[in-house]
Amino acid sequence: MRGFSGLTKRNVIVFLKDRQSVVFSLLTSIIVLVLYLLFLKGTFVDAIETVLSQQSMLSGRISAGDIDMFANLILVTGILGSAMITVPFNCLTTIVRDRENRVDYDILATPVKRWQIVLSYYLAGAFSSILLNGIILTVALMVIRMQGNLYLSAADICQTYGIVALGSVSATAVFMILVLFFKTSSASGAFFGILSAASGFVIGAYIPISQFSEKVQTVCNIFPASQVTILLRNKLLGGLLGHMDESIGGIDEGMFVSSIKEIFSFQAKIFSRNLEIREMVCYIAVVLMISLVAMTVIYSKNYRKK
Amino acid sequence: MNCQNVRKRKKQNANTKKNKKLKRKDEDQMNALTVKELRKNYREHTAVDGISFAVKEGEFFAFLGENGAGKSTTINMLCTILKKTEGQVKVFDRELGKEDDEIRQKIGIVFQNSVLDGKLSVKENLYTRGAYYGLSKKQIREKLKPFMKRFELEEIWNRSYEKLSGGQRRRVDIIRALLNDPKILFLDEPTTGLDPMSRKIVWDYIEYLRKEKKMTIFLTTHYMEEVRDADHVIVLDKGRIVADDTPVGLKNKYTHTKLLWYTDRSGERDELVRCFDHSYEADHYIVKMPGEESFCITDFLSVNRDAIKDYEIIKGSMDDVFLNLTGRKLGE
Repeated sequence: MRGFSGLTKRNVIVFLKDRQSVVFSLLTSIIVLVLYLLFLKGTFVDAIETVLSQQSMLSGRISAGDIDMFANLILVTGILGSAMITVPFNCLTTIVRDRENRVDYDILATPVKRWQIVLSYYLAGAFSSILLNGIILTVALMVIRMQGNLYLSAADICQTYGIVALGSVSATAVFMILVLFFKTSSASGAFFGILSAASGFVIGAYIPISQFSEKVQTVCNIFPASQVTILLRNKLLGGLLGHMDESIGGIDEGMFVSSIKEIFSFQAKIFSRNLEIREMVCYIAVVLMISLVAMTVIYSKNYRKK
Repeated sequence: MNCQNVRKRKKQNANTKKNKKLKRKDEDQMNALTVKELRKNYREHTAVDGISFAVKEGEFFAFLGENGAGKSTTINMLCTILKKTEGQVKVFDRELGKEDDEIRQKIGIVFQNSVLDGKLSVKENLYTRGAYYGLSKKQIREKLKPFMKRFELEEIWNRSYEKLSGGQRRRVDIIRALLNDPKILFLDEPTTGLDPMSRKIVWDYIEYLRKEKKMTIFLTTHYMEEVRDADHVIVLDKGRIVADDTPVGLKNKYTHTKLLWYTDRSGERDELVRCFDHSYEADHYIVKMPGEESFCITDFLSVNRDAIKDYEIIKGSMDDVFLNLTGRKLGE
């Protein structure tokens, strides 16, 4: 077991010690933050104010602070959603580099079992993602809390960390299969560039997915990462939306909150069907299980002596 | 008289060799490594073509051959990394393919290219690698103690592996290979690309492991001078064994010791060197003494000491062995 834990530790520190790699793995999240500071926040706030202006009876019932808080929390979900894609992938490129530099030969000549090697790469990817996203979430919550009430209970916060963990383990499992196709680190690097650019759109960090056509929405929501981001949105913004609804006092029969939820994609839409929270969790769990099984089968062949 | 001596010595040598072969058979159970008909095919390409050999415990064994001769493929099979296509291999009586985990505990390997992590410090690299063998931090620390001074490990202990010089990296590679106290150490071209000073340090340590620790050393190399001190050399060419002997044996078999006799040519002198392969060039005779009969030179010189005053003896080299075996020079 020491061999397995030693190898897992090695895989984690190889990734975390490469500062450039860590920064690049968070590049999409950094871009989301920069765009937010430049103009995205304004766009989000405008969208909410447009909904408010459409219903004159709501004017003055939602405070500017709550609208700001809403936009801030939408930003956090965007940052986390993209980081949960890019961090595990970048960490797993260690597999590609190890194969390319024959470091895997060094591991294969030790008593560490083949399945332990595969599992150690997987755990290292998942752990690195949970660690970095956990830090991002903690810092974000602390910073935003200083600006006002988050309307989050301790249980909500714990569940948010749980969603981060679920997103990390599922994305890592999917990418474990994907990285096997890359023979060189330059090829995986090129793919990472595409992944970074696409991830922000797929999870709706730049533009809410609801703004896309139904087909595009379906494609985006097939990826578990999109659904994980939707779960995060529900969990992080649920309290605030509840507070907004209370502020309105029921005069719109919940129309405002429903509109906001639709605009900012609080439900995953697949082929015109909106998935419930439970269905999304099940979907992610099924993808995770399938990926784990596929990973076990594919890697056991790959690491079998050639 | 000279020619008679040559024949007599040849007969004696043949008998000694026969005895040696019989002795080798008896010592089979003391083998660190026994390889029988080992073969590795990659689709139509045969990388290793049915090779058989044995390495005795404590022996310094060398695998000599050009790049692509099949040396690394063989090592990777013996180290349980690659699967053999055919053949039987026993490493300290453990059968390859069936008892791989046990074999992995007994072997250490220094790869051709560095396989440690550049961003990690020497300490981190060695501690993580030690853990692969189930060693605790305390055990690793204990194992590293003897290396600290001998390999000047203290000064590079906290430095990133990628910031080390080529020689320093190689030293760390060797220490890494020794973490599990292997009974046999595989060295796959360990000095390739190293400066002479670093090569010397590496070789000094390998000498120490051989002599003090009685470790079995399995070396692959294409540097001829590195196999000079080996107990047993195999020359591999295109996946096949083309020679298997001691360095001296190989030189004797495949090279000639040359006597350069500086003198004018005459019928009387031609008669003196008649039973040897000889020629005359410019101002000297070139007399090729069969390698295994190099003792002939001393006999020949002592008998003819009045006639031969100005001479030079040139020994056959391992380069000549390879040239004579394969028709190519190493690196060609």
